[in-house]
Amino acid sequence: MSDNKNKFDTDPQLNSDEAGASCVAPVQLSRRKFLGATAAVGAGAMLMPFGSSFAASNKGTVVYLSWGGFYQESQKKAWCDPFEKESGVRVVQAGPMNEAKVRTSVASGSPEFDIADATDIFLYYGSADNLFEPIDYSVVNRNTLPPQFTHDYGVGNCVWSYNVCYNTDKFSEGTGPQTWTDIFDTKRFPGKRILRDRVYGMLEVALLADGVAPADLYPLDVERAFRKLDTIKDDLILWKSASQAQQLMVDGVASCGLLHNGRIFDAVKKGGHLAIGWEQNVQSVDYHVVLKGAPNKANAMALIERSIQPDAQAAFANMTGYAPVNQAAFEFIDADVAPWLPTEPSNIEKGFVLNADYWRENLKELADEWTKWKLS
Amino acid sequence: METIVTNRAAGLGVTWWSNAAQLVRNRYFWLVVPATVTLLLAFAWPVLGFLLKAFTDPFNGLHNFNEVFSNFIYGAVLWNTVVISFVTTFLSLLLGYPLAYTIAQASPRVRRLLIFAVLVPFWTSILVRTFAWMVLLQPSGLINDILIGLGLLLEPLDMLFNRTGLLIGMVQIQLPLMVFPLYTVMSKIDKQYVSAAANLGASPVTAFRRVYLPLSMPGVFTGSMLVFVTCLGYFITPALLGGHRDVVVAQLIHEQVTELGSWGIPAVLAIILLLSTLFIFGIVRLFQRREKKL
Repeated sequence: MSDNKNKFDTDPQLNSDEAGASCVAPVQLSRRKFLGATAAVGAGAMLMPFGSSFAASNKGTVVYLSWGGFYQESQKKAWCDPFEKESGVRVVQAGPMNEAKVRTSVASGSPEFDIADATDIFLYYGSADNLFEPIDYSVVNRNTLPPQFTHDYGVGNCVWSYNVCYNTDKFSEGTGPQTWTDIFDTKRFPGKRILRDRVYGMLEVALLADGVAPADLYPLDVERAFRKLDTIKDDLILWKSASQAQQLMVDGVASCGLLHNGRIFDAVKKGGHLAIGWEQNVQSVDYHVVLKGAPNKANAMALIERSIQPDAQAAFANMTGYAPVNQAAFEFIDADVAPWLPTEPSNIEKGFVLNADYWRENLKELADEWTKWKLS
Repeated sequence: METIVTNRAAGLGVTWWSNAAQLVRNRYFWLVVPATVTLLLAFAWPVLGFLLKAFTDPFNGLHNFNEVFSNFIYGAVLWNTVVISFVTTFLSLLLGYPLAYTIAQASPRVRRLLIFAVLVPFWTSILVRTFAWMVLLQPSGLINDILIGLGLLLEPLDMLFNRTGLLIGMVQIQLPLMVFPLYTVMSKIDKQYVSAAANLGASPVTAFRRVYLPLSMPGVFTGSMLVFVTCLGYFITPALLGGHRDVVVAQLIHEQVTELGSWGIPAVLAIILLLSTLFIFGIVRLFQRREKKL
């Protein structure tokens, strides 16, 4: 495990992040240093609004809404900061993203956010509900991306996946569960297992565990999926947030289960005893969308174009383990990070993509079924 | 019956007007205005807007109410919420009453210490306390380790992600809300009443039951109401410590708004919570009034 950690430490992106984090650590400040620091901050604060209003008057701003935490911090470093430097447009970070924020903001008539990071399901929902501006493909060069990542109302920004994960203190490396069938096998792999407390994705995983081939999944056999879920109900912990899930796995409360590839990457990087499996990984894409009536639409389009450049895509992948949508980025991706990416060729081959069309049709009804199943 | 109601309404009207008139004449009245106006604009108005969505989202009518009252899951979740709130209130009272009694009877030094012991967790973030319980209750957590180490258990107890863990967390978090009102009332009870009862031949149990307990009842009502009402809208602790069956109303509201983009049904659920809260306030007021008359 420490080998892994050292490998990642050689990544300059990660190092710069750790340096940033250490600033937050409590440090003994001498009085003089403290006064100096406050003076600097004060001066900065005095200059900042002046500087920003100056910039705003020239190039304007753009408000970027995303999911917060390490994820958004990496997006800021990978494409917002370079964009800001090159274009002079100030990028304001906002978050955490949730769909209610986007809806209320658009409904108000003058949204306070310009760009949002949307899941694929929300991209479909939101465009059906007229929440987004069409993407200006005269600014965004769609030819650099595979067609599945460009839609009328959204441009992919990264690919992530749900993966099989196990704790290497419970099962030695290589002998842990490798497939969803293994995750559902409580005899061979005892201990609590985790799944996400959301209906989409979980029904697919249950059906894959029951032997359904990825090509035959849709339309989902909902009853069969719930019957399969019944078999592990007593050993199941449903997680509400990814950081909670990460903690459950690292602490060994759960022996195995389902987690985002980037969370496993992050845990291993920090010394957690986890292993990742790529068999039948469930892939999903996050998209940049521009809110209907966004005040800084032109800047938003320009920032989206900047975000799909190979260098930006590679920087984000190197920091998070989430994959680029632009294949040209692979040139710049660290050799140690590449195996962690869902779009690494052999990982793509093992994975499959959730059918967002199916979920647009059925999410509300199946969300009720999910609650019903939990309660019963 | 009708006349009583109208008389009452008239009476209320008179007191309301005279109270309001008195309030405006008070020279401190204008000091209250900024806070009140801010609260109305920044809180009451948006909340009202949200509640109205029960009748308008996604289209006008009572269909959201129809959905909530006909779909089994909403009833089950409301029932869950009420049961969890009720049991939490009961357990808090069971633990809080003797604790508050001890604090009220203690010497000033011990009292300060005990109050401090109740206050410190009260000041600690709910999220931190909930996560702390996850650490303590897990199979290889401190509690199981101690019990197994002492030879009291062979297998770790299953105390996390089920109703047990949920109630442990809820009670610990709510206990201060029970203890403070109880202590406030108990500290005002004149100890001579109990002595007097004993002098007149009452056994300690009888003296407690017939003198002390009734005098402490306002604290019991206030504490129980505070705990129960807070539990009704609880979100974090059930979400993190409970099992899959322990879905409560606040979780459902959160999920519907943030994941399904649906506002109408959450608004109906919010109206039900609000009405339940007002109903409980009403009942407690009624009891307190009767107490006063007695």
